[in-house]
Amino acid sequence: MEELMEILEDIRPDVDFEECTTLIDDKILVSFDILSIISEISDAFDITLSPADIVAENFNSAEALWDMICRLRD
Amino acid sequence: MSLVSNLFVLFVVLTLVIYYIVPKKLQWMVLLFFSYLYYIAGGAKYVFFILFSTIVTYVFALLIQNAHDSENRKKYAKLLLIIGLCCNLGMLGVVKYANFFIENINLLFKANIPGLSILFPLGISFFTFQSSGYLIDVYWKRVKAEKNPFRYALFVSFFPQLLQGPIGRYQPLADQLYVPHAFSFLTISRGAERILWGFCKKMILADWAGCFADAIWGNMDKYNGIMFFGLIFYGIQLYADFSGGMDVVIGIAEMFGITLEENFRRPYFAVSMADFWKRWHMTLGEWMMNYVFYPVSLSKWMVKFGKWSKQKWGRKQGRVVPIALADLIVFFLVGIWHGASWKYVAYGLLNGVIIAFSELMVNQYRNWRTKLNIKGTEKWFVIFAVVRTYIIVNLRWFFDRSDTLTDAFYMIKQAFTHFDPSQLMLISAGRGGTAFVPWALLIIAVGCVIMVTVGYFQEKGYKIRESLEKLPLPVTVGIYILLLVAIGMFGSTATPKGFIYAQF
Repeated sequence: MEELMEILEDIRPDVDFEECTTLIDDKILVSFDILSIISEISDAFDITLSPADIVAENFNSAEALWDMICRLRD
Repeated sequence: MSLVSNLFVLFVVLTLVIYYIVPKKLQWMVLLFFSYLYYIAGGAKYVFFILFSTIVTYVFALLIQNAHDSENRKKYAKLLLIIGLCCNLGMLGVVKYANFFIENINLLFKANIPGLSILFPLGISFFTFQSSGYLIDVYWKRVKAEKNPFRYALFVSFFPQLLQGPIGRYQPLADQLYVPHAFSFLTISRGAERILWGFCKKMILADWAGCFADAIWGNMDKYNGIMFFGLIFYGIQLYADFSGGMDVVIGIAEMFGITLEENFRRPYFAVSMADFWKRWHMTLGEWMMNYVFYPVSLSKWMVKFGKWSKQKWGRKQGRVVPIALADLIVFFLVGIWHGASWKYVAYGLLNGVIIAFSELMVNQYRNWRTKLNIKGTEKWFVIFAVVRTYIIVNLRWFFDRSDTLTDAFYMIKQAFTHFDPSQLMLISAGRGGTAFVPWALLIIAVGCVIMVTVGYFQEKGYKIRESLEKLPLPVTVGIYILLLVAIGMFGSTATPKGFIYAQF
């Protein structure tokens, strides 16, 4: 989770990833950020995402992202 | 049947009356019947195309669903998706681009292949994209395939959005189209309010600005000193026309108790080109993002390219390069979605290059802003960003509005080499060219001030429609009457035109 937080803060230093749970719903993350995050987490956690994984439930918060990473690693 | 016609008003009223008097479980059938009637009224010969799109995507969605549900047929789902998309988008491709392709083959190889005499069906670019999106969503298991072909046919053909969008997604629409809707005075009045606002934008502002834009583009040599005015007029016309049309469409749907997705969010307040495309023709942008941008960016070859790019340019810059490339591809498609012409290719690529460049520079911009101690939220910076974006947005209209790429470059050359604002007064504006030009310009200026003021307050979070409802009834009725009078007085003297986006 720490590594994920580092990635997120590097990509969007202006966002409070600890607290925010509406990253997609409130359009805080845009497509450019989403693809930057995917690029980084794919390398860091050795996972492969498909377009079907890009849904609000997976990207709305750091926790949701972490759950998706764990699921894809399994 | 034009949206700006008495016949269309009668058609909507009749549909509404029947919709609310039939038993509620039959309401969606009423919508289906009148949607097809509307389409047939536009030309019975076009029905084949919408039927083809509906049947193909309906059948292939069911086949994909079956493949998902069966253990030993899972692997066929992708193949079925590809075939379904090829049939549906292939039809669009043949109808829209075959002659463009033949023309270019003839030019390139000095051949003489005759063009095809193909009909251009109404709204084909909208309903094929909407139905293709549904097919992909079924493949991605985001929605279940609809089993009832008639219910699905309504999703593809719902008449308010048929000609110029918005391009709807299946689930949000399905959740509303097939459920009962009780009559509510509030729903009808709110819908009517939105329609009235849309007609004001279209019939006053768009049509008056269109008089000037058409005159300048139609007589490039005569008006070569006011090309920049042409851009501004066209920018006003296009926004008021398309967003006005959307207000009408969304207002009509609202009267049936159906909330369509918004297609505009004050685009001229955008602070960057990327921001502009999140506010302008939003449903096309979201379609492209979901069904082209993400799949292209996550494709195997792009992921490989991304890894190579990171090795070559470092982690931060390297991860941006594939995103910029995907944007170029998306905007090339956005360009040709607008029409089969090199000017649209140039228009799309120009957007793509600007956005790709700003993405490639994102880390650099961040560093510069840190060094200059600019947060990006300062008032002066926001104004600067809005003005800068407005200028870039307007410059792109050279390619969108000109008939050919050659004309676009000629216009650009004239714009930067000639300036003679007095030519503005020579334009024959209004019906029969009899309007007093300063009066016509005043109408446009007042219209813009009202639209920008409304936009500014909406941008600040004010709920203008809700505020109107809180006013005493006579005041609200007075405002409606004022808008109607304005349409009657100013709209009737402009040269009436069809909606620009209905031709796509």
